[in-house]
Amino acid sequence: MSDDKTLVAPEKGDWEQAASSSGYEPGAQSVAERRFWAVRRVPAALVAGGGVLMAGVFLYDIVKVRAEQPGMAWRHRLADELAARPLDDVWVLLGGAAVLLLGAWLLHLACSPGLRGVLPMRRPGDDVRAGIDRATAAVVLRDRAMQISGVQAVRVAVGRRRVLARADAHFRDLDDVRADLDAVLGEGINELGLARRPALSVHVRRPAAKG
Amino acid sequence: MLRVINRVVVGLAGAALVALGLGVLLAGLGLPGFLPVDGPDDVLISDADRERVSSYGWWWPTVIAVLSVVVLLGLWWLAAQLRQRRLGEVVIDTGEPESGTGPRALLRGRALEDVLAAEATGIDGVERASVSLLGRRTAPRAHVGLVLGPRASPAATVVALRSRMLREACESTGLPALPTEVRLRAVKHRPERVT
Repeated sequence: MSDDKTLVAPEKGDWEQAASSSGYEPGAQSVAERRFWAVRRVPAALVAGGGVLMAGVFLYDIVKVRAEQPGMAWRHRLADELAARPLDDVWVLLGGAAVLLLGAWLLHLACSPGLRGVLPMRRPGDDVRAGIDRATAAVVLRDRAMQISGVQAVRVAVGRRRVLARADAHFRDLDDVRADLDAVLGEGINELGLARRPALSVHVRRPAAKG
Repeated sequence: MLRVINRVVVGLAGAALVALGLGVLLAGLGLPGFLPVDGPDDVLISDADRERVSSYGWWWPTVIAVLSVVVLLGLWWLAAQLRQRRLGEVVIDTGEPESGTGPRALLRGRALEDVLAAEATGIDGVERASVSLLGRRTAPRAHVGLVLGPRASPAATVVALRSRMLREACESTGLPALPTEVRLRAVKHRPERVT
């Protein structure tokens, strides 16, 4: 792998290796693909449940009072507090802030795609949309990295824009191992078939000597 | 569909809460706001306000009606989150395409799901597959969940899924297309070395 970092690495010694930016170009074959949008079942269920609960309790109590039975104590308390506390009271302001934050959170949930753990894949045809979990992509890449000789252990983290691989190499020259990792992981990322090709960065080091 | 409804209703609820919270904060801090109150020393709902609205004859019946509608719609909406609407059956049109009304056959949705899942499991590297049919019975859609085994190639798996499972499905049911959404997951396994 013709990598300019290779020239730098020996000066730093074998114990800490510079990262490589690998020989493959991220984004080279990227295609525009929409993200997966979550159905938002849980927030919807919570909003529905909360709304039903509040409306139901009020309904029950209002009907009860209309039927000339005593209302629940908390409604008197609530009415008294709303009528007694001025708007610049700490509790009113805190309540207003809490309601504002909750509303902003719900708006965010309504407008953002969610499913950050799913990476959209390239479509083999119009009739198929596919996505792969980031954790799954990491396992696939890890399996490939483990096949390189010299790699004793490797941790692969797949982010939404970047794949980060940290490997411990217990034999072979670290630059050779890193070159192999660059090639294998680059090919591995190709075979993930992601719509947007993430950047790849590879770190290789000697494992700490055993006690 | 549920996705759109959920997001619209959650968004409306959020907007209402933002407006209320913002109104209270602005009024409480003495800034120009939009709540009908007289400055920070006023209260949110005074006794006079309450007595005034209560004195209208239509007030309580209206409140009860609105709350009833909220409870009913809320329950329906809640129920919609809990069940996944799967397709019970798929219509297979065996007639001439020109006449349009040939003899038709119904295929049980579960049967087609099972066949498709078996087909998908046959693909190299796929450990398990689950298929659920959604949409309308004349134009079904499929959701496919694939669990990949070690050393699977995700891109090749999706291509194989399309060329095998989907072609099979379209050929056997006569559907023009089966739009499919695929999610790939992996079985958790320890790192292993082949050599």
